[in-house]
Amino acid sequence: MLQFFGKHGISVAFVLCVVIFSLSTQKFLSTDNFLTVVMQASIIGTIALGVTFVVIGGNLDLSVGSLLSFATVLVVDLHDKVGPGTAILLMFVFTLLIGSINGYLIGYLRLNSLIVTLGMLSAIQGITLVYSGGKNVDISDQTNTWFAFFGREALFGVPVPAIIFIVLGIILQIVLLKTGFGRKIFAIGGNATASLFSGLRRNRLVFSTYLLSAFTTGCAALILGSRVMGSQNNVGEGYELLVLAGVILGGTSLLGGSGSIARTVIGVLILAMIQNGLLLLGFPYYTQWLVTWVVIIVAVWLDIAAKRGKLFSTY
Amino acid sequence: MNRIIDLVKRQPIWIFVFICVVFFSFSSPYFFDIRNFSNILVQASTIGLIALGMTFVMINGNIDLSVGATLALAASLAVGLQPQLGITGAVLVGLLSGIVIGALNGIIAWKTGVDAFIVTLGAMIGVRGLVFIYTGEQAFYAHDLAYSDFGASSLFGMPVLALIFICLTIIAHLVLKYTIHGRNVFAVGGNRVAAKEAGIRVGPHMLLNFILIGFLAALSGILLSTQMGASTPNLGRNYELWTITAVVLGGTRLTGGFGSIIGTLGGVLAIAILRNGMNLLQVPSFYVLIILGSILIIVLFIDKRFAEPQGVGA
Amino acid sequence: MKVQINPIRTFQNLGKVSLLAGSIISLGLSGMAQAETFRIGITQNNVGVDSYQTTYEQAFEDAAEEADNVDVVVLDAGGDVARQISQVRNLIQQQVDVIIIWPTDGQAVVPAINGARNAGIPVVVTNSNIAEAGQPLIASFSGPNNIQQGAYAAEMMCNQLGGEGNIVQITGQPGYTTAIERQKGFEDRLPEVCPDVKILDTQPGDWNRAKAQRTMEDFLTRYDNIDGVYAADDNMGVGALNAAKSEDRAGEIIFIGATNFAVGYEAMARGEYHGSVYQSPAEDARNALNIAIAVAQGKEVDKMSYFDTPKITQENMDEFEKPVF
Repeated sequence: MLQFFGKHGISVAFVLCVVIFSLSTQKFLSTDNFLTVVMQASIIGTIALGVTFVVIGGNLDLSVGSLLSFATVLVVDLHDKVGPGTAILLMFVFTLLIGSINGYLIGYLRLNSLIVTLGMLSAIQGITLVYSGGKNVDISDQTNTWFAFFGREALFGVPVPAIIFIVLGIILQIVLLKTGFGRKIFAIGGNATASLFSGLRRNRLVFSTYLLSAFTTGCAALILGSRVMGSQNNVGEGYELLVLAGVILGGTSLLGGSGSIARTVIGVLILAMIQNGLLLLGFPYYTQWLVTWVVIIVAVWLDIAAKRGKLFSTY
Repeated sequence: MNRIIDLVKRQPIWIFVFICVVFFSFSSPYFFDIRNFSNILVQASTIGLIALGMTFVMINGNIDLSVGATLALAASLAVGLQPQLGITGAVLVGLLSGIVIGALNGIIAWKTGVDAFIVTLGAMIGVRGLVFIYTGEQAFYAHDLAYSDFGASSLFGMPVLALIFICLTIIAHLVLKYTIHGRNVFAVGGNRVAAKEAGIRVGPHMLLNFILIGFLAALSGILLSTQMGASTPNLGRNYELWTITAVVLGGTRLTGGFGSIIGTLGGVLAIAILRNGMNLLQVPSFYVLIILGSILIIVLFIDKRFAEPQGVGA
Repeated sequence: MKVQINPIRTFQNLGKVSLLAGSIISLGLSGMAQAETFRIGITQNNVGVDSYQTTYEQAFEDAAEEADNVDVVVLDAGGDVARQISQVRNLIQQQVDVIIIWPTDGQAVVPAINGARNAGIPVVVTNSNIAEAGQPLIASFSGPNNIQQGAYAAEMMCNQLGGEGNIVQITGQPGYTTAIERQKGFEDRLPEVCPDVKILDTQPGDWNRAKAQRTMEDFLTRYDNIDGVYAADDNMGVGALNAAKSEDRAGEIIFIGATNFAVGYEAMARGEYHGSVYQSPAEDARNALNIAIAVAQGKEVDKMSYFDTPKITQENMDEFEKPVF
């Protein structure tokens, strides 16, 4: 029983959420509403994909919220100045540059990831404000730009943000499970010191996980920038914790060495469903936070309990 | 010379504090002033009180991300319940709420074995939700002026809030350094398994420290609300991050087993002095964020450089 | 004129002369120069969080530059009440002549203002007023009449809907006086002019466009029939408009905002956005500085010094310049 829940707990929770909400409100179980949930989850979810790699590698990334603000402000501001294509290119260049600073400090200098990304959270926020001069940025012609594709359009009835999230998720799941790179990420997180790799290769792998989380954050910025067609400088504030909550809910261990992209996706979707379902039921907005609290702890508890074979710890 | 190097190694943050004081004294005519120093102490006391508890929790090898939300909950209760319970009753309920949240975190971390980071991340989100629901997203106002008078009062020419902070810092230092509980804090953080084999009841020990930090976060929130005569639901946002920053600047290792109250005090003062000094120099707020973030990373780098050859590093 | 202290240069200069003497001389000089000059300190709410506040800061500094009888100390609380209170303490300690405060919260700053008053420093509140209890403590409030703005919005909403319909409301940041007053003005005035317009739901958008867009998405999921949206500023109103457009329901909804932003102005020109209230941050800033100077000079000032914030709709928008923020 315990083993079953440990292994499939997150899927059980997912189904449970769907059933409960479907029974209690008619509006929940519809294609339209499900697509809304996936779309609302897509920004946090896309970031969470990259962060899952970081966490499996045994580190944390708290700077993604600030980085999302930075990337969104950058791509929206450059859109009118250099055109959407170049704007997107430059956004990724600078976002990856910041990701590589994280990667260098944590991978090569081996500084503690919590503190480094905490410092970067503040520094990137400042850089964003200096860049924009503290002003909102806007795209002036919002109807005739192909930039609208990423956030506002749909293919075969499925919103593009949802497609980006899911396709990227499938690709990264394959990378994680089927490639040498993916296996090495598990290895460095699993047992960093006694790992099979020389120090240099370990450094490079950690570095690459931060490039990856910067990349998926850049993708999320495309969605966000395109949906809002403008940005405030603090637009990503607090996202780092919601992202982390999704990753943790998906069962990725903070100690590193275990985790899965598919489960991260389910974790993020559960959080989005809780929000959507509770709102449809007419609960106050913040009730979702209380439920999130309980869900996170119970999910991780069952996961751990299954691994140790006992419900309660012994110390 | 060796002595100086030794001091830099042990408490590099105090050297930094000293440099800041000298620099700001020369660059602003308003900095080197007894009233400004007592301002700095009052400003430092909010993060500082929580940081005392965080030092215990972090030396234990744990962390508490829920302190900002706990602070807001305690402040809201202590102000919001005054019409029903009076000041004393409301403040007691506020303090109790901190103890309860701390105990809840501690028990969950102890009994389930879930990492403290996750336990308190959940609490951080949930407790903030609780605050918003309880307050209906409104600020509360203390109608009895005695409440805000307390926050503005002085004793022996020192603001009462600063005095409370100093007293509790001394007590925390003595407890950590000279009591059995204090020694256990290091033992549990250094090696949990060995500590258990040595007969320390690790679970209850950690629970006690979570209760301590919950209480201190609540106290900090209530004292902050006396400065405002009010509470707001957004109070204390990001304070967990600043508290952790201060404690780490003070040399406490995130991996546990190493740290001191003296260092934490240095970290708290460093942040408060930097903020105060940059205000006086009118450094644009955008740059303040960049400077604070960079300093955190630089200090971490220096700390690692000095600590590594001795083998105490994380 | 604004005093820019260059820390590096100051440090070097002081190094050349004897340090102590240097600082005494510089203190003495500034004391003399200030015989006819006022020092005015301002602590703002959260510069950089939106363009209005950033434009305000620039306009304030420019206006101070032009006036030759003031030095200003410009601070920003970053949205944190506790930090704002410590900034007020710092300004008291620096003994500025007047403190201008843009409150992060209408109630929580009242004791700090009381502290300034006790220290003999008059306080001018700017942009967003403080709670009733603080009114006797301040020299003046300078800013828009937000109750009036809410009432204007109700009137425009009523007009555009032709007297009946179901609407939703997206409010500003909880606890912030501007948000409370606009909501109150709107909710009080609406039944007077249009008893048949019903407010289905009210949720905060925190002055944030992305958040407002999300809130509106949830409204659209929950309610099949929405005829109008009142957002407490255009930044949020445009967020709501975006949400409705992506569900193809914008055509059936009337959008009314406040604090006309450039994006709102443009949407109005396209015919997608229906009404707002024109409010200039530059005027807001100049008004505050002028009141503060008058207070410093000991002149009589009005307790409520509102500047004009007219209605702007698709019909009369030609009379207004496009906002710069």
